[in-house]
Amino acid sequence: MQRPTDEQLIAYLDGETDGATSSEMAAAIAGDPALARQAEALRRSATTLRAAFDDILHEPLPERLVVACRGEEKVIRFPEPRPAQAKRMARGWREWTSVAAAAAIAGLVLGGTLGYFLAPKPAPQVATNPPPAPNLTASSSNWLDNAAGYYKMFVNSGADDRRLVDIPANPQSEAERKLANQLPQGFRTPNLQPWGLVFVGARLLFIEGRAGAQLFYTTDNKALGPITVVVASTTAPDLAPTFDRRGDLNVLYWRHGGHMYAILGTPDIGYLWNIHNDLAWQFDAI
Amino acid sequence: MPSRNKPFHDPLSPRQADPGGPASSGSGPASARFSDQLVAVLPRLRRFARGLTGSAFEADDLVQAACERALTREHQFQEGTRFDSWMFRIVQTIWIDQIRARDVRKEEPEAEGERVGTNEPMRRVEARLGLAEVSEALKQLPPEQRVALLLVTVDGLSYKEAAAVAEVPVGTIMSRLARARVALAARLEGGGSSGSRDDAEAD
Repeated sequence: MQRPTDEQLIAYLDGETDGATSSEMAAAIAGDPALARQAEALRRSATTLRAAFDDILHEPLPERLVVACRGEEKVIRFPEPRPAQAKRMARGWREWTSVAAAAAIAGLVLGGTLGYFLAPKPAPQVATNPPPAPNLTASSSNWLDNAAGYYKMFVNSGADDRRLVDIPANPQSEAERKLANQLPQGFRTPNLQPWGLVFVGARLLFIEGRAGAQLFYTTDNKALGPITVVVASTTAPDLAPTFDRRGDLNVLYWRHGGHMYAILGTPDIGYLWNIHNDLAWQFDAI
Repeated sequence: MPSRNKPFHDPLSPRQADPGGPASSGSGPASARFSDQLVAVLPRLRRFARGLTGSAFEADDLVQAACERALTREHQFQEGTRFDSWMFRIVQTIWIDQIRARDVRKEEPEAEGERVGTNEPMRRVEARLGLAEVSEALKQLPPEQRVALLLVTVDGLSYKEAAAVAEVPVGTIMSRLARARVALAARLEGGGSSGSRDDAEAD
């Protein structure tokens, strides 16, 4: 058989040749090492191509697409941001603080009034009781508030305002080095280019006493908008991805393998979820 | 990895959701059955669109536009034909229209396929490449080659099925696919082209 053309070789590799031609192709490949190498390279590149796109099939479907398929108006429904118990705990903490403050004021007034009449009696003890130690949820809430607030500042000041980032993205090698010092061993700045998101810089922060970083990504796509990603070490147990909101920002945070992560931005939850999948895949290397 | 003869392996694929393959046009606009078919094929449409556009956001925009168009043209779908092929064709048509409109506006012109070939510096990739790098390689291909590559190599359609989607003869799909595969291998593997084979023989 004459040397096969690229079309013939690829048709054979794709199983598009008949039995006789396939036999001839197999013999030609077996007798020609260069052809065999080419066939192997073509097979490998096809496998790489398929593998690269495979994960997309398993991504959750963006709600807007499902809605479009139904021919309905777009309705974005946000899930409950946190488990009910966590919410109650957070609310309980806020309410307790309010009660304590009110009691303190009342106690002072009452104590002052009574003291005026009964001289040496002190104010009620309730005013001086220490508040309960903040629980983990309240703590998470604090750093998410902080990240959301900084994100707002970043967006409002314009992405070009370098004063808001400790580590500019450029030069990239320098940024990687500085972040590597701050973040878990093996950390690499996530690449969100496929989402049209460009890393522009990071600020360093501490969450629950441990080092972390808040990474900022911008995009020309106004519908998507900038996002920020928080990465830090933690001793807390793993936590499944959890949706939350901060003002008009959607938040998705989770913990895995001694690291905590959060994504904040204006994209709808479907996009945040997809970006989370991508990030989780990239962070698996840590 | 999709098989050549069994292209639909994901659990949401229309073939599994509807073993009969073709969709029923149902009654009335956006019939539930038609919508179900659309939802079922969404993952593959998103993958196809991601490969075409190279952007997650643009891909979903493209798929959304395709779904909306499909809903308005539900009556045009012919029973007994493949629903997934019909949707791939709609996605492709809208994408080509977008490229042409973009070319008219001179916005981000598509890279010409001739840039990629045996003369371009090649690099060997030892590890599995990420989607970003593969997307970058795809962007270097002309649109029609990209379509052929995604339909056949990624989605596993046969040459005949891909030709039906692209509305070209099977021979055209063959040649487009061959050029795309050679260019892709050259970019990802640093080999796979005729030129590299000749080079190897010269050694």
